[in-house]
This record gives sequence, structure tokens and C-alpha cells, in this order.
Amino acid sequence: MMLSNRSSGDVEILSPGGRLDARSSEEIRVRMEGLIDGGCRKMVANLSGVDYISSSGLRVMLASLKRLRKEGGDLLLAGLQPYVRETFEIAGFTQLFEIYDREEEAVEEFGRRGRTPR
Amino acid sequence: MDPIVSPPLLLLIEKICVIVVAAYLITRTESFTELIEGRLTRKNQAAMALIFGAFSIFGTVSGVEVAGVVANVRDLGPVMGGLVGGPVVGLGAGLIGGGYRLLQGGFTGPACSLATVLVGSLAGLVYLANRRRFVGVGGAVVLTALFEALHMLTVLLLAEPRPEAVTVVRAAAAPMIVSNAVGALIFALMTTNLIRERETAKERDEYLIELERRRLELEIARKIQESFLPETVPALRGFEVAAISRPAEEVGGDFYDFVPTPGGRMGIAIADVSGKGVPAALFMVLSRAMVRASASGEPTAGEVARRANELISADANSGMFVTLFFALLDEEARTLRYVNAGHNPPLLLRGGTGEVALLRTRGIAMGVLEEAEMEEGEVELSEGDVVVLYTDGVTEATDAAGEQFGVERLLLLAKEHRSLPAAALVEEIAGAVLAFSEGEPQFDDITLVVLKGGRRG
Repeated sequence: MMLSNRSSGDVEILSPGGRLDARSSEEIRVRMEGLIDGGCRKMVANLSGVDYISSSGLRVMLASLKRLRKEGGDLLLAGLQPYVRETFEIAGFTQLFEIYDREEEAVEEFGRRGRTPR
Repeated sequence: MDPIVSPPLLLLIEKICVIVVAAYLITRTESFTELIEGRLTRKNQAAMALIFGAFSIFGTVSGVEVAGVVANVRDLGPVMGGLVGGPVVGLGAGLIGGGYRLLQGGFTGPACSLATVLVGSLAGLVYLANRRRFVGVGGAVVLTALFEALHMLTVLLLAEPRPEAVTVVRAAAAPMIVSNAVGALIFALMTTNLIRERETAKERDEYLIELERRRLELEIARKIQESFLPETVPALRGFEVAAISRPAEEVGGDFYDFVPTPGGRMGIAIADVSGKGVPAALFMVLSRAMVRASASGEPTAGEVARRANELISADANSGMFVTLFFALLDEEARTLRYVNAGHNPPLLLRGGTGEVALLRTRGIAMGVLEEAEMEEGEVELSEGDVVVLYTDGVTEATDAAGEQFGVERLLLLAKEHRSLPAAALVEEIAGAVLAFSEGEPQFDDITLVVLKGGRRG
């Protein structure tokens, strides 16, 4: 699995590619936990390159979301392909995650939040 | 070729054949193995110094006389001892071999003795410089040749009278350098062989242990899962129900359950825990218990899911969650009230028209939010209507080309065979899924429950 990450200001953007199954999810989990341990609080997962996500993949996203929100941060999703979006929908996770069509919109959302005191 | 040099060279090589046997025996000793593994103790260093020292003495006595000097492999023991076991072994063996040489007398005696002690110690220093590892075959051969050259230089510098020393060195240098280098080659080959053997054995042992640990874990997970699945399906009035669960190699946390309520309704559950192995299996046991506990009393399906979710959320950590479809079947009223907590929506096929509905409600997987809204739905079931409950192991079964079984295929299959009894339909679908993914590893548990409306009982 390919997994690139870059940052835009204080927002970390992860872009996994291919299948997010039990094995590749472990790789992402390690990366996300590393970023959060390193102080990252604003994360965007650009899933436009992901064509399949298993329950292990959902779990990794959920675990990171829970941790980030506890620390006052958030994980925003962007660019979900239809199959992946459906998987999130079936599990009810669309009620939980904020999902954007494009990565830039998710990054902008963090920018907006940064300006308005919470 | 110089007729004086040639026969001794051959003789020395002949001696080396004896050395091969000695080298083999030495490399097979426990002390040698310990040195190779870097475990230096007083005991094994002393033992090796003695053995290599004795080997050095053997080198002296097995020497071949060349122009009044004995050309020999005396240095081989101390050098190999030093290269394998460090300065203590090298120096010790050198002192033994050199000491013995000193007792033999002769005008080159002191110089030869000193040279043997010197090369043994130097070899030991090489070992330290090489971070306490053996230098390898090439290194050992080159170093031994250099050490022999050093030996000759020592004799030239220290032995008196000088002209005779020159004669001796001229005669003995070539055979001594070559024979010691050949001896080092043999020794080094055996040593590196042993090192490789030990490494392979270690890797193999670690691999086998890891394999066994994983096998045990898989076994445990499977046993947990199996022991918590119902052994029989309940007999229902006016309905048939059948179920099947085929765990993957690496067990997920699928389960199905039948929970009769005191009021006479039948609770039907199918669930899928995220993750794999023992953690998932344990979470499955917890979830199943919570669903059962929540179904006591006479709650609605929504209440069961809400309560179970509260209980599970209190325990869920690190993103664990479980998707659940829970339905209460009223055999009298022939209704199914259900709640879908993030589970793949079951298929409802109308027996008469073949019309299809997905049993989905607004809900979210359990263990995610402590206070989750769990919407209820209700359907009436007539004779011939079929409800297919499944986990994602069914729709995500993959064929050799990487294509998934998918909901569409499941739907067509169920539709085609909807006139079959529930038990036969479950078999039919499970068989089709397994045939579809034939030859491919089964990544996820495959679990199916089929409920079918029969004649009003």
C-alpha cells in the first residue's frame, strides 16, 4: 500500500492508496498515532486513492478520530470513492465523521475553525 | 620449481589434512560455539587457549625440516584462536606454542617463540578491532599470510648469526606462508560454516516459535468463537430459520444468536466485530453477552440496541466496534421489528413478487458513541418471504481476479433460490460464496442467517 503524508500549515494530510484492509490499516494506524504523539491535532485523511476499506480500516479512522477529539483536535475525511463512502454509511460513521468532497475543503475547514474561537 | 622447497611444501599440505580433522573437532566443541556467539567466559577462553596451544605444539612437532629449520604451522593455532576468541585465547595459545618452541632450542628458537606469541596477540586485537566478530574467510587467509611474513621478519631481525637466518628464511618463508594460509582457509571455512549454521538454526527456531504462537492464537480465537455460537437453531411457529458461520483462518468476530424473550418473541442477532484474532473473539463474547443481557425483560429492538451500545461503549477502547442487526420476530403477528446498528443491511425478498427491500435503519455501529440513536423499522412477513442476514465476509469474498462477491450477486442468488427451505438456501449461498473464492484465502468470517416465512402455524 502507498501512504504519503504532507502538511499544510498545522494540518497533516494523509493520502493512503489502494486497499485499506487489515494489513495496510496497521501501517496507517502507526503513522497516525505517530503524528498524534508528535503533537498533531488537525488531520485530514484524503481517501480518494482508496478503493476498498475493511472494518479494520474503519477502526483505525475511528481510533484516531476519538483520540484527536479528546485532545481538542479533529480528523476530517475527504474524497471518498462511492464504495468507501457506502462502507462508512452502512456502519453509521457518516454521522460521526465530517466528510468533504475535496481535500482543500477539509483543510479550509480547519482554517475556519482556527479563526472562530471554540 | 626449487627442489628443496617443493617436497616440504607437499609434506606440509599432507599435515594440513590432519589439521582438517583437528579443525573439525575443535569447531564442534561447545566452547568454540560459545566464542562464535560472542559469549566469552573465563572457562571457554581458557579451554580454547589450551586447545589452540596444543594445536600449536602439534604444528611444531609435525613440522618439516627445511635447511636446518623446521617449517611448520605452529602459528595457525594462536592466530585462529585470536581471530575467533580474542586476545586472551590468542595470547594464551601463543604462549603455550611459543613456550614449547623455546624448549626445542636452536638458534631461531627465541625469535620463533616470540613471533608465535606476537601473532596470536595481534590476531586477538584484530578480533577486538572487528567489533568482537570473526573476520571471515578472506580476512583470515590474508591476515595469516601477513602474520607469517611478520614471523619471518622477526627471525631476520632477531636470530643470530644473521647470514644463517637469511638462509633459513629464504628456504622456509614460502612453504610456511602458504601452508599456514591454507590451514587458515580450512579453519575459516569451517568457522563461517558454523556461524551460518547457528544463524540459520536461530532464525528457524524463532520462526517456528512465532508460527506456533500464531497457530495457538488462531486456535484459541476459533475455539472462543465456536463455543459462543448457538449449537442449534430454534424451532419457530410458522417460520424456518437456518444459520451458518465459517470462520476465516484468522478469525474475525462474527456471531449470530437467537434470544427468546419472556413475552414469547424471538430475538435474532447477527453481528461483526471489527478486527481479527483473539481481541476480536473476546470482544465478540462481550458483545454477545451485552446483547443477551439487554434483551431480557420485554424491550423493543431499539431498546436492546441502545442498552447494548451503552454497555459496550463503556468497555470499547482503541476504536473497537461491533456492527449489529437485531430483530424481534413476533410469530403470532408475523412481524419483524428490527434495528440496524451499522450492519450490512439484510435482504428481504418477497416470495410472491420477488420484490427486494434492504433492512436498514438510521443507526451506528456499537461501541462508537455512548448515546447513539437507534431507529427501529418493521416489516410484515408472509409465507415465502425470505430474509437473508449476512456479514461482510460474504459480500467481500474475493475471487482470483480480485473481484468481490458483492451484494448484487448475493441478491440474485437468493432470489433464484428463494423457494428452497431456509436450511437449503443457507447452504446454497455459503456454497456459492466458497466456490466463488475457491483457491483464494478466506480473509473474513462468513456468516449467514436465513429466516423464511412458512405456513401460518
